[in-house]
Amino acid sequence: MVPRVPALRAAARRSRAAIPSPRARGEGEPPDPMPAEAAREVEALEAQAQRLMGTFMRAGYEQIAPAIIQPAGLFLDVVGEELRARTYVFTDPDGEELCLRPDLTVPTCRLHLERHPHGNVRARYCYSGPAFRYQAAGGDRTHPREFRQAGIESFAAADPDQDDAAVLALTIQALREAGLDDFQIRIGDLGLFGALLKAVPMPARWRRQLRHHFWRPEAFRAELARLTSKAALEARNVPPELVELPEGSPPEEAQLRLEAYLERSGLELVGTRTLAEIAERLLSEAADARETPLGPDIAALIESYAAAEAPAREAAARLEALIRPHRLDLAAALGAFKRRLALLEDAGVDMGAATFAAEFGRDLEYYTGFVFEIVSPRLGPASPIAGGGRYDELMADVGAPTPVPAVGSCIHTERLLAALERERP
Amino acid sequence: MSDRLVLALPSKGRLMEQCSDMLARAGLVVGKSGSARGYKGEIAGLPLVEVNFVSASEIAQFLKTGAVHVGITGEDLLREAMADCDERVTFLRPCGFGHADVVVAVPAAWIDVRRMADLEEMAIGFRRVHGRRVRVATKYMNLTRRFFAQKGVTGYRIVESLGATEGAPAAHLAELIVDITTTGATLRANGLKVLDDGVILESQANLVSSKLAAWSPALREAERELLARLAAA
Repeated sequence: MVPRVPALRAAARRSRAAIPSPRARGEGEPPDPMPAEAAREVEALEAQAQRLMGTFMRAGYEQIAPAIIQPAGLFLDVVGEELRARTYVFTDPDGEELCLRPDLTVPTCRLHLERHPHGNVRARYCYSGPAFRYQAAGGDRTHPREFRQAGIESFAAADPDQDDAAVLALTIQALREAGLDDFQIRIGDLGLFGALLKAVPMPARWRRQLRHHFWRPEAFRAELARLTSKAALEARNVPPELVELPEGSPPEEAQLRLEAYLERSGLELVGTRTLAEIAERLLSEAADARETPLGPDIAALIESYAAAEAPAREAAARLEALIRPHRLDLAAALGAFKRRLALLEDAGVDMGAATFAAEFGRDLEYYTGFVFEIVSPRLGPASPIAGGGRYDELMADVGAPTPVPAVGSCIHTERLLAALERERP
Repeated sequence: MSDRLVLALPSKGRLMEQCSDMLARAGLVVGKSGSARGYKGEIAGLPLVEVNFVSASEIAQFLKTGAVHVGITGEDLLREAMADCDERVTFLRPCGFGHADVVVAVPAAWIDVRRMADLEEMAIGFRRVHGRRVRVATKYMNLTRRFFAQKGVTGYRIVESLGATEGAPAAHLAELIVDITTTGATLRANGLKVLDDGVILESQANLVSSKLAAWSPALREAERELLARLAAA
């Protein structure tokens, strides 16, 4: 049972860095405050989960219960090392590496794929169940290491923008029906960023790089600086025989030249990475050196786009103003953004107080388009109550033969309960 | 917790020999004591000091939790054992032995990968071709995560390696490694090279005290005397 003392509230409210610094703790100290498991709390969580699931099921989402124990390999390949560091991994008596699911989205994708090996079949699921994440500081009430997620995932909708709006609207409806009145909506759109990159003339691999680094502001700025500098793009370390290779030569020719170079240098290739992969990167480097670097005005545009923040309703106009001097065509992506907002308002979601941030994204890397977060002023931005977004590449990563449009959302139910208790003390 | 200053020393190997040589040079002779099968000892002339012989990685754990007051172990093991190393322990004195660099090493034939930033770029392409993340074999999981995060490298996955890590790329168990090296000869023999900015830590054995141990003024005095004797040697 967690006593409701001011110190605990202060601890829960404190803002946390991405990697919380652990408190110094000795062996003999009592265990950390964990989510209260007293009967009253369990009852409250269960009643709340039932209300949430009721809302989801009435909207036509099918209730599922994906496995809690998941294969570690596939799961962790998909989510990346950041979440892996917080995933409980173990080996079963057969030597198989397994994990306790750190979220329910990937298990839901696996379940969908089991039912429909092609993946591209319309389906809407809802779930409520435990997830597990290591907390460096041992965990507290709003960052417990064992928590319950209630969420929805929607696959293969014909109209993705409409589906984005429907998922956020239903999430908000569920929160309202659970009793939450006071909250803020934050949105972002990775599709807009992709469209901006596409509209700027540059090699496809530069786009890939910038998109990849978008989640990490520092690496992103470094990459942008590299692409604007002729000197930084010079292929200093590429063997001359590869630099001299005429453009459009067959890839085998590059591999032969690389092989000869490695042999002459006494370098033996060990491991899984092939000559073809190394040659491809060296050729890209050589090609980068021949490219015209990005103009400083374009780099500035990309940077100011990444820094753009505005009330949601004004965001499109701000971005339009930003790109107007550059004569870039983002009409389709901006149109989708505006339409999504209109659909949300039609669904009864008040976007008046919602904020847009271009750089806003969840720290899970698999989002590809619209992203959102619901924050309670009582818990603060470090403890969002719900979040979600579009992840059009995840199903293929999990094993679907083709990409499957998908969007989902989940509610951190312990936080929802904590916010409700603070709303009505 | 005993009312004596518990000093943890490595229980085996080269590190144990170097520790007793260092103590001997300071005129500190460690005698095994009691019936604890040689895992406890005393130092002549320092009655407040009790010596525990444990493995180097256990010493790091004991210092982390305060189960011992002072110990000698590698900085690599200490920093691997705790993210908040400097909040939990005080580095009293480098020992001048047990030198080892914790490094990021990749196949030397990867002439397209020279820096950590190249690694991230290479990882994007690797995942596209192989359908999975590039794997890093290491026993230093925490040092690796922290260093890679600091360098903005994210598209990888750690596979735990408990021995002969340098052979992991050739055995196709991983694409690259994080491991310790002293001369680099083992890495070279396995067709690997260290990245230009891939030195995570230049480690050596250190005399370290735990901030979380049960300290009394008398034990602090014993710590000071131990340190003074070593400094005078």
